[in-house]
Amino acid sequence: MATLAGPPAQPAAATPSSSSSSSSSSSSASANPKFAHPPVSILPSRFARIYALAHPALLLSLVAYRFSSVTNDPVAELLGDIPFLVGLQVVFVMGCLPPAGGERDSNSAITETTPRKPTGPKRRGHGHSAKVPSWSTGLASLAWKLTPALLSLTLTTLLATPILSFLLVLFGAPVTTHHALTFLCAAHMALLSCFPLIYVHGVDGNVWREIWGAARPTDAVWGGALGTCFGAWFGAVPIPLDWDRPWQAYPITILTGAYIGYAFGMWLGRVKGVFGKRINFAPGPEQVRDLKVE
Amino acid sequence: MATLSANCLVLMANVLIPVAILVFSLGFFPFKPLIPGLATFEESRNAPPKVFDKVVFMVVDALRSDFVYSNNSGFLFTQSLIRSGAAIPFTTYAGSPTVTMPRLKAITTGSVPSFLDVILNIAESDTSSTLAYQDTWLAQIRASGEQLIMYGDDTWLKLFPGMFSRADGTTSFFDFTEVDTNVTRHIGRELVQDDWSALILHYLGLDHIGHKTGPQSSHMIPKQHEMDSIVAQVYQAIEQKPHLQSTLFVLCGDHGMNDAGNHGGSSVGETSPALLFISPKLQALELDRRSPVDAVRELQYYRIVDQTDITPTLAGLLGLPIPLNSLGIFIPELLEMWQLGSQRMQLLLENARQLLKTIKATYPTYSFEDTAVTPSCHSGRESGVEKVHCAWVQVQTLLSIRDEVGKSSSQAEIESALLRFLKASQDVMSSAASNYDLKYLYTGICIAGLAVLLSLPATFGTLSRYQHPGLFLVAVILAYGAMVFASSYVEEEQQFWYWVFTGWTSYMHVKNFRFQHGSSSTATGLVPRFSLSALGRISAVTLAVSHRVLRRWNQTGQKFAAEPDIARAYFPNHQGTFWVLVVLTYADIYLHLAEGFPSSTLWVLTCLVVTVIAFAFKLVFAASESPELMNESITRHMATSLSGIPLILHARLVVCGIVILLILSTLLTRVERKSCKKPVSSSPVVHEALTLFLMTQSRATNVPIFLILRQQLKILASMNLTSVEILVTSLMMQYMTFFAFGGSNAISSIDLSNAYNGVGNYNILLVGILAYVSNWAGPIWWASASKVLRSKTAADESRTHITLLTFCATSTLLSVMAACTALRTHLFIWTVFSPKYLYTMSWVIIHHFAVNLLGEINLLFAVAI
Repeated sequence: MATLAGPPAQPAAATPSSSSSSSSSSSSASANPKFAHPPVSILPSRFARIYALAHPALLLSLVAYRFSSVTNDPVAELLGDIPFLVGLQVVFVMGCLPPAGGERDSNSAITETTPRKPTGPKRRGHGHSAKVPSWSTGLASLAWKLTPALLSLTLTTLLATPILSFLLVLFGAPVTTHHALTFLCAAHMALLSCFPLIYVHGVDGNVWREIWGAARPTDAVWGGALGTCFGAWFGAVPIPLDWDRPWQAYPITILTGAYIGYAFGMWLGRVKGVFGKRINFAPGPEQVRDLKVE
Repeated sequence: MATLSANCLVLMANVLIPVAILVFSLGFFPFKPLIPGLATFEESRNAPPKVFDKVVFMVVDALRSDFVYSNNSGFLFTQSLIRSGAAIPFTTYAGSPTVTMPRLKAITTGSVPSFLDVILNIAESDTSSTLAYQDTWLAQIRASGEQLIMYGDDTWLKLFPGMFSRADGTTSFFDFTEVDTNVTRHIGRELVQDDWSALILHYLGLDHIGHKTGPQSSHMIPKQHEMDSIVAQVYQAIEQKPHLQSTLFVLCGDHGMNDAGNHGGSSVGETSPALLFISPKLQALELDRRSPVDAVRELQYYRIVDQTDITPTLAGLLGLPIPLNSLGIFIPELLEMWQLGSQRMQLLLENARQLLKTIKATYPTYSFEDTAVTPSCHSGRESGVEKVHCAWVQVQTLLSIRDEVGKSSSQAEIESALLRFLKASQDVMSSAASNYDLKYLYTGICIAGLAVLLSLPATFGTLSRYQHPGLFLVAVILAYGAMVFASSYVEEEQQFWYWVFTGWTSYMHVKNFRFQHGSSSTATGLVPRFSLSALGRISAVTLAVSHRVLRRWNQTGQKFAAEPDIARAYFPNHQGTFWVLVVLTYADIYLHLAEGFPSSTLWVLTCLVVTVIAFAFKLVFAASESPELMNESITRHMATSLSGIPLILHARLVVCGIVILLILSTLLTRVERKSCKKPVSSSPVVHEALTLFLMTQSRATNVPIFLILRQQLKILASMNLTSVEILVTSLMMQYMTFFAFGGSNAISSIDLSNAYNGVGNYNILLVGILAYVSNWAGPIWWASASKVLRSKTAADESRTHITLLTFCATSTLLSVMAACTALRTHLFIWTVFSPKYLYTMSWVIIHHFAVNLLGEINLLFAVAI
């Protein structure tokens, strides 16, 4: 996974200091009213920058390490892995991402058309100056971030997992059998894709409408979520093959695909030139609506 | 000018399609040279004496090995015979295609039937498939002046016209008992007669039970008991009646069945029928007498012999020359029936000489005369004909040593050398790889490739205007091209289309959702339009839900075919729901038909009458074909009250009604055109009438699918799709519904139950068309529906459609041809890839030309008029 983890170093390191994508979410948002809900950048702290690289690698090594036991007893193993996944994702969102309504207020308040209620006092300074936060402020911000993290975890469990289970069934998961596996698969996918999304965007209806219409500008969070879905979709490919391998059983390949897709999407979402782009449908000539990348 | 020439190229591509198929088929379906005439003993005084005078040959259709040998078998008497040593049990390997006619050919001629026999098996009455002019053990018995008697499956009568002195053919239909009692009632009378040498019995009931309710059915054990009692009856007659004293009794299955109860493919269940040689005389042999036993491997009990081995064994035991084209090996266990070693060897030598002759006929250029041992013979790595040659040289050497040294020394050695030669010969002759004509295969591929190239300029021009759907279409075709190289994906092709379709639904969802929100508004801040209907927002989700239901309607393919589905597991247990859905579907079709010309009372009444007749036909047909759906008292009562009209007449009435509807709609359109200037299109009415016909031609359990299809069409119509999007959707729906209706790439999944609707005398063209319609009902429906979707768009788009359809047809054809050529030595070439090629042929020739293209041309005409 070194190749996957390697490249993001440049954009991630470049974002906070230069005036490219991430800080441009404030500057370019005022210049170009393209994004009412701009793409989310990884926090500029050193921990965030390092951990954002390590996180997908950690997740993938978890998959690789537990793969054989998932094959042996999928239900128990997938259930047993959830605490680890939750732990890693909580560290990731709290350490690397701005919580909903919090972090972005400082720099995007000018352009926000809908006023947001800040969920906490603005303790953190501007990203540029707070490169090395002191311990006290660090702890305080941690405590302050714990609430949105717990809230989004609850929403992930109660809302995102059932919805994803339903979507899995629509995409071909068994209806009458394998309920526990479908639910666990959905839980894993929800933790990968929806948990960071909820943490970053809260329950902002407009953002979620963008998500439902796949219209979010690309960033690490949205890239990861989209990657999870694509990975899971492609993960279904080996199932019908007659190799008679135990790992071909539902939903092992789907979930593996989801993890790989998540790691890939997270990386791709931060690559310079992809970050901030979104797929758009523009009505072409003669009423033909072509699909174009902006 | 450029578009005109591009259109010409597309036209040429279409012309090339049948040429490519013809050339490729010439090379792909191997032609096996048959040696004409009847075999005779070369030196008849040397022939070993016969062991038996008469044979009772009892075939139980689909008698899988475990039905006789396992612990929970109903063949209790037969098992006691195995324990007493009077029955010698085997599991036979019945190669694909595991359908009755090719299997009977293998059993009687000892040759491996060509794949074309499968097609001929469907066209059952085709007389070219007769074995009247081929050498069989039946012909040998007949030639020796004896009489043959046959009761059972009338396939025998078709294969052997004029062969039997007395016969009573039973036709395969859907009953479990009568078809067998019609055989059994003759047995008692025939067993006292002394005039026959071979009595052939072929029972179909067990196979019907398998097709209807699977091998685990509750009907299965009683049927096995019934078959066992016939074994007992025949065996006791052999024991007691002096004139039957020297009678061999053979009990065998022609093929097995898979877990769903079907056959035609190459799964273990389908290829493992039982075979028993039964006679009190056999008790002299010291063989394995355990019974019941556990299978060595899945369904493999006792020793495995090839199905073709039956022919030389029977010939040997009855003292007949081995039929000329046989590839069988005399079953060594039965060699012990001859006391003298020289006789046993003579028998094997006879078998070897006969087999060598067939090999020489297949490899006319190869010289077996060269007795100098080729250097490669001892490497152990020789293969194919060379291996046969080496084995033959070895036999020759041993024989010459024997002649020099003396008779008794190397008997066993010669026997094993002969058996080695026979095995090597059988392997070579049965392997498919030997006789493709590669020249034709490559030419066919080149022509298909040229067709793809010709359609490419126009396709590229079209697709480049529609970026994303065009890209999707190309990706799907490329993925399909890769998919056909994987045998398991060919078997489970439905998974591919279901999977691709979910991706396409997601695309449509995103596009539709964004479109409804206004694509410009996403740029300026996504002002949500709450005026939107909630249904519109999730229309793609509804489409996905309906797709998910269709997916479960009929489980198909190989791996999951036996799993419970809606049509075979849910409906028989929820008949109320089922019939309500069927009635709803017919009511829905009536309402939509009547909508065509609501002001005309004549029209509305005609619609009502025709729909009611069509529904009544479905009811009566279901009563006779699938009684498990008729436990409800109301429906059964209705069906019995209607059963006075013969089914054939009833089916004809339905078709006449539909034709009348079409004629009436044309007339009414003319009248309305005259009365008001508003252009009236009859295309929806035509589509509805077609739907009614397709429903008539579909299995009863598939009728409610049309209700779902209509909802899908409504959703798609609300989505404002571009013409390429309509095409991609329609193409994917066509493939998807083919599988959702229960189709697959296996020959066994061809549904012929509706192919004889209204057909009195067998007419291959008519039955073929009806069979095509009933198996391709879904694709035909979507081909027509895509026209309804586009009815408002210009004729120019019709050309776009033809272009893209041609591109898809040619490229799928090319990829299947390439896969069949590249994998021609694959183990599954006959069981997976050849059927796939046959299916592709019907997709491309019948579906692409007759349905898609003719439909488009028809539209062009309609616009022109």
